[in-house]
Formats: sequence, structure tokens, C-alpha cells
Amino acid sequence: MIEGVLNEGFVTTSYDSVMNWARTGSVWPMTFGLACCAVEMMHSATARYDLARFGAEVFRASPRQSDLMIVAGTLTNKMAPAFRKVYDQMSEPRRVISMGSCANGGGYYHYSYSVVRGCDRIVPVDVYVPGCPPTAEALIYGIMQLQLKIRRTETIARA
Amino acid sequence: MTTFSVTPEATQAAIVAALGDKVQRTSVALGEVDVVVSADDYHAAVLILRDAPGCKFEQLIDLCGVDYSEYKGGTYEGPRFCVVLQLLSVSLNQRLRLKVFATDDAMPMVVSVTDVWAAADWYEREAFDLFGIMFDGHSDLRRILTDYGFIGHPFRKDFPTSGYVEMRYDAEQARVVYQPVTIEAREITPRIIRENNYGGLK
Repeated sequence: MIEGVLNEGFVTTSYDSVMNWARTGSVWPMTFGLACCAVEMMHSATARYDLARFGAEVFRASPRQSDLMIVAGTLTNKMAPAFRKVYDQMSEPRRVISMGSCANGGGYYHYSYSVVRGCDRIVPVDVYVPGCPPTAEALIYGIMQLQLKIRRTETIARA
Repeated sequence: MTTFSVTPEATQAAIVAALGDKVQRTSVALGEVDVVVSADDYHAAVLILRDAPGCKFEQLIDLCGVDYSEYKGGTYEGPRFCVVLQLLSVSLNQRLRLKVFATDDAMPMVVSVTDVWAAADWYEREAFDLFGIMFDGHSDLRRILTDYGFIGHPFRKDFPTSGYVEMRYDAEQARVVYQPVTIEAREITPRIIRENNYGGLK
């Protein structure tokens, strides 16, 4: 804190804190609904659960405008290349929430010939939300856990 | 008790009258009419079923394949692949299940009915994709459900549940790659444990 500036209407803080505060409070999720989990994801954004209260309201249809991808549903082999491409198109810093049993580890379709046994085989995952499907509350809790993780990030690496 | 405005027996009689000796086998079970025709008569038979006065099956509800290779615990002797059509006549309010067996087990082939019902197009692609049944005369017989470049026909009884390949991201090649499947097949034997007289059973 620099002496005296508060009286003139200024607050000083570290760049890290401001950066993380801004990122924590404006998570823009990418719409990536693959199966029934997507319905619960939609619920979390609607009036009853109102994801906007936690600062993650703007679902984007473009990966280039979003910084969180919620993998909501079964990831099949046929979808996997497109999924990775969408992830690659997201700009840094990007984060992934794996939502539901299928995305976490294949779930019900673990032994299937056509399903990827967990979306972490394709992209790195930050938060796993368990459930089949997880409730909207569970997804919101997962997003809040991700926000805690973002807040702890050190944006500027120190030697 | 189900009540019918058109009894299945009346439907069956009309179909048998229209098809004549093209009917190989026919039955009425659980209120549903079942007719088997040979692969050679198949296309002529569906045209009759669509147009004959007592049949009028204007609509194809479903078309699918069946693999009989493990039917009745493997004791079944007969053609391996079957194509099953579910037909509906809206005008006469009647339904029919039509079966045709492919003669060659190694290369199952039946005539396409896309020229009779356009709805058969994607169903035949599905039966081709999952069972490997060929449909002669289909204009665009591609896979419809499985991955591009998929090998095998997953609904055949000899196809392993977990398949032969699985997918992962390869960081060096920077793309998604296929690799041989790494998990062990699992034997699932359901066990039913319940006390005597469960649910009032004697």
C-alpha cells in the first residue's frame, strides 16, 4: 500500500490479485453438451439455479471467446478429434470441467467399443464433477471449486 | 385384453392372399403378424405389400438387422443374418413384421427397398454399418453411426464389446490417435439374491 493515495480515491494491490479476481468472477463457459448431462448444465444456467450469481453466466458458442469448457456427456471416438480441435482453439488460460461419469472415465460405457474412457485421455482436466448426471447444484459446486483454483493461480511466475 | 379394430388374423389372411406362395412362414404371436419371405421374392413382395388392396402398407416404421449366430445358445441352424421390417398401413390400420434372411452368411446381401420406401435409406445404412448386411441397389451405402474409418461391424455377435482399438491424444503428434485396446474384457454374471417368498412369490 502506497502511503496517502487511499485518501485520493486510489487503492493499490498486486497485479496478480487483480488478474485472478477478474478471471475468477468472469468465467465464460463454452457450450459443449454431448449427452443428457447437457440438460443439467442448461438447468444450472436457468433462473432456478442461476449460475450468473457465481460469475459464470455467459455460455459462448465459440471456443475462441470462452475460457472454460464443460464436457457434459459421453465423449465418443467419433467426437474426440472435434473435441480436441475445439480445445485447441480456446485461448489461454483455458480450463476444463469434466461433468458426469461418462466424461470422467467412460462411466456406463467404459467397456464400449466406441467411447473414450474419460475425456482426460484427450485434454487435461481441472475439475471432475461426479454423478450420472450430476445435479445442477453439483455442477455449480464444481465451478466454484474451479474458481478457488483460479484464485490460487500465480499469474506472474517468480524466480 | 387388447381390442383390435382390425384383428391380426384378418390382416394375416389378407397378406397371405396377396403374397400367395411368396410367404415362407407366417404366424400371429402376441397380436402381431409375422411373415417371412425369401431373399429372391423380397422386392416383389414389398411392392405387393405396399400396393395390394388388402395390405396397403404405405409406411416403413423400422428396418433393422439381426444376427442369429448365437440364437438359442448356438443350437440354431439356418441363415445367420436377417433383415426385419416393421410396416404400418395407416389407411387400413394394420401392422406387419416382415423378415427376410440373407442367403450367404459370408457376404449377406439383400435387395434395397429405398425405391419402395424412401425411409429405408438410413435404416439400411445402419444395418450395413452395424451388421455388415449389404443392400443391393442402395445409392449411398456408407457407414452412418460408427467412426470414420471404423473397421468391423459392432453388432455382430463375434465382435468384442470393447472393440479392437481405443482413442487417446498423442502430444508428440499433436493429434488424437487410435491404439490397440488396453482394457481386459469383463465377464459379467448377474447374481440374483432374494429371500424366499419375495414379493409374495410362492
